[in-house]
Amino acid sequence: MTVLNFTLNEEGIAVLHDALTCMFKFSDELCLEAKGDKLVLTTLNISKSAYVCFTFAANRFFSRYNFEGNAQYRDRFYCQLYIRSLLSVFRARQGIDPGGHRETTIERCDVAIDDGPGIRSRLIARIVGRNGITATHSLAFEPKAPTHAKFDMDEATNHWALSSSTLRQLMDYFGPGIELLDINTDYDRKVVNFTCFTEKVQKKGANSNEAVLKKPLHTNIAVEMEEFDKVEVQDKLHIIISVKDFRAILQHAQVVSGELTTSYSNPGRPMKLTYSSEGLLCEFILMTVGEKDAMGQKHKNPRANSAAPKGFARPELDAGSRRGSSVGNENRTQPGAPGASARSAARQKSPVRSRQPGFEIRPQPMAPPPRPLPPPSASEASDSLFVAQDEDQKWEPLNPDEEEEENGADRLEWNSNNEPNPSTMRISSYVNHPTPVETEPEVDESLASGLEPTQRLSEVRQFGLFSN
Amino acid sequence: MRFKTDLRNIRTFSKLVAALNSLEKIAWVRLDDDTVRFTVIPDTGSQVWASLSVDLIFDNYHLQSAEPNNTINLELPLGPLQRALRSAAGSNHASLRLTKRDGVPMLSMTIHAMTKDPGGANAATAAAAAAAARAGYPPDADDDLFPQESLELSMRREREKIITQDIPVRVLHPDTVETIMQPKVREPDVHIQLPPLLQLKAISDRFTKLALTTTTGSAARPNAPGPRLELSANMHGSLRLRLVAESLDIESVWDGLDNPELDPSQLAVPLEEHPSTAFRAAGPERWATVRVDGKDWSRVLSVGRLEGRVIACFADDHALILYVYVPHHDDAAAEDVVTYYVSSYSA
Repeated sequence: MTVLNFTLNEEGIAVLHDALTCMFKFSDELCLEAKGDKLVLTTLNISKSAYVCFTFAANRFFSRYNFEGNAQYRDRFYCQLYIRSLLSVFRARQGIDPGGHRETTIERCDVAIDDGPGIRSRLIARIVGRNGITATHSLAFEPKAPTHAKFDMDEATNHWALSSSTLRQLMDYFGPGIELLDINTDYDRKVVNFTCFTEKVQKKGANSNEAVLKKPLHTNIAVEMEEFDKVEVQDKLHIIISVKDFRAILQHAQVVSGELTTSYSNPGRPMKLTYSSEGLLCEFILMTVGEKDAMGQKHKNPRANSAAPKGFARPELDAGSRRGSSVGNENRTQPGAPGASARSAARQKSPVRSRQPGFEIRPQPMAPPPRPLPPPSASEASDSLFVAQDEDQKWEPLNPDEEEEENGADRLEWNSNNEPNPSTMRISSYVNHPTPVETEPEVDESLASGLEPTQRLSEVRQFGLFSN
Repeated sequence: MRFKTDLRNIRTFSKLVAALNSLEKIAWVRLDDDTVRFTVIPDTGSQVWASLSVDLIFDNYHLQSAEPNNTINLELPLGPLQRALRSAAGSNHASLRLTKRDGVPMLSMTIHAMTKDPGGANAATAAAAAAAARAGYPPDADDDLFPQESLELSMRREREKIITQDIPVRVLHPDTVETIMQPKVREPDVHIQLPPLLQLKAISDRFTKLALTTTTGSAARPNAPGPRLELSANMHGSLRLRLVAESLDIESVWDGLDNPELDPSQLAVPLEEHPSTAFRAAGPERWATVRVDGKDWSRVLSVGRLEGRVIACFADDHALILYVYVPHHDDAAAEDVVTYYVSSYSA
């Protein structure tokens, strides 16, 4: 049966294609999540240092949108798809009209997602052309719950907003060979500095060495605060992100809209970038490099991201055996907790070495304080999507020894240096709303996309994952 | 040791650096009170000595060192310099100074530039307004006193950005460069003004490609020496480019080129005894010939982007020197010379 169907007009296809192009710069796969009022596409890069979330409003973005739901997917439907195949389906098709003008030949695109017992799980896209040609694409998908990176707006007290077109042009000043972007404020000079640099060829005592001449340009751009639409940033705060990610975001932001807004707290904590246009909300959460790490990692590859090969096929998705109707999963799973047992099982089976994952992964059962459960092992932090990715380490900004000694029990956190009680920090809502035990985690209202946790604690408790 | 200057003619400077960069990645720059000299000496291939008067590319030039004539010798990578210059193109103002960052010497380029307004229409006006504001008031002046009035919403806060590009440099001790001498070449047999370099380059490149396709194997190795091109000129306005390969023998001839008059006051020998006089007397069939490496020659010809007049001086079977005259945009009489010592081979 059809779980979801929607129709895109020509413009909608172009916007979707732009979004997919942007996502493809981060990952090979995306998660589609459909609800009654919105369609959400998310992806997390392989090193879990960058998370992308595009929210399409059902009533404004689509010419028609209908989420049916079924027994299995009552409130929402989700699946995982290859971005590459979506890109080829939703590409612009240009033809030449009799007058010799190029114009797109698409009239509209109908998308339907079929799933259910005894039905082949497929995403079917029918591209209806003006020339009378209708192309039908059928894509297989994997029933897999999306992974949402968490971001605490209350913690992120630093904000700035600037025209994406201006930002994009600033990036043109940055030369090749640079990896990191340091954004810092200087209230004395009333400017925000964008500094690009690399740690790559830095060698100590390279002074007398020819290598010093091989260093790339070190570029700094000072932009007057007056030019920003908003600047509320702690003075002299340096926040460092990947140039590659930032470039990818700006390329898309420039196409979409006028203003890009950022929110962040401290080095080593995530940064959120958002921009929006009619019916489309674009959110990115990037891991920032901790300040001390920038110093300590001169001889390491600081960017797992840049090292992550494009088109790297992850073994999980390759599994054709796992494809097929999500009903298969459903049969093994308790109703109402779709996919949970499969994922939990994967967690238990595959103890990933305890590297800090880039993000706190939301759809996982978490125990609220004040009776802290044994902190989940790092393997639990890994969604099965990300099992055994050694690349994770490359992003690793912290000195591992130091980190593990200090916060060994709290590996889910990126950096809990400033937190009084790390074990209470896994659900940010608890920090601000200390709630009694056994209540379900509240929906984090600060998340603009408003995605609820995937599972309820009461639902997963029965699986015996928790001792109490 | 101090070096600080504003940049002018950034386009010309950028083109010169691009031309040099095609031959070698790292240049020796010698600054003194009167001239700026860029020298590139590749391991193999042609070397360039570009001696420029300071005011061709610099303005408000301040130089100070313990050496005579305030000489400073630097070694710098041309790629980053070119990149920095490119980002300075179209700027309102750009300056260069020698400084240190984390104890490492840097050539720091400061660029004042505007980004294009998304609205587009008023970007120029805004730029002009900002430039005027900068001229009138020190950059740190409180802008609130003189608020810029917005003409429309899209340009409301389009401000000048300050971009700093730090180019890594090495400061060279005078002793280390003392031994590097400009080559000395005997008086040339033929001097001739080259045809438009774009044309010459297109034909030379075609010959080189032809040679590479006929001699299989050598093309595969990128650093292998290219095919030899035979370049000849006479004192009667002709230049000949010839390729002799296993299975082909092709040539192109340009006629009606100019053999400029020599200035007797600049010559070491009386004009009558100068080799070119003998070549002129010997008639159009008396060619001075050198052989050049096709790939290297192509890199040399990239200097054509400077759009200057080029005089080639041939010492028969011995040497080829190109003098590239760089015109000053604001002073038609002034010219600077970039000298190419083209590596050549005997038959």
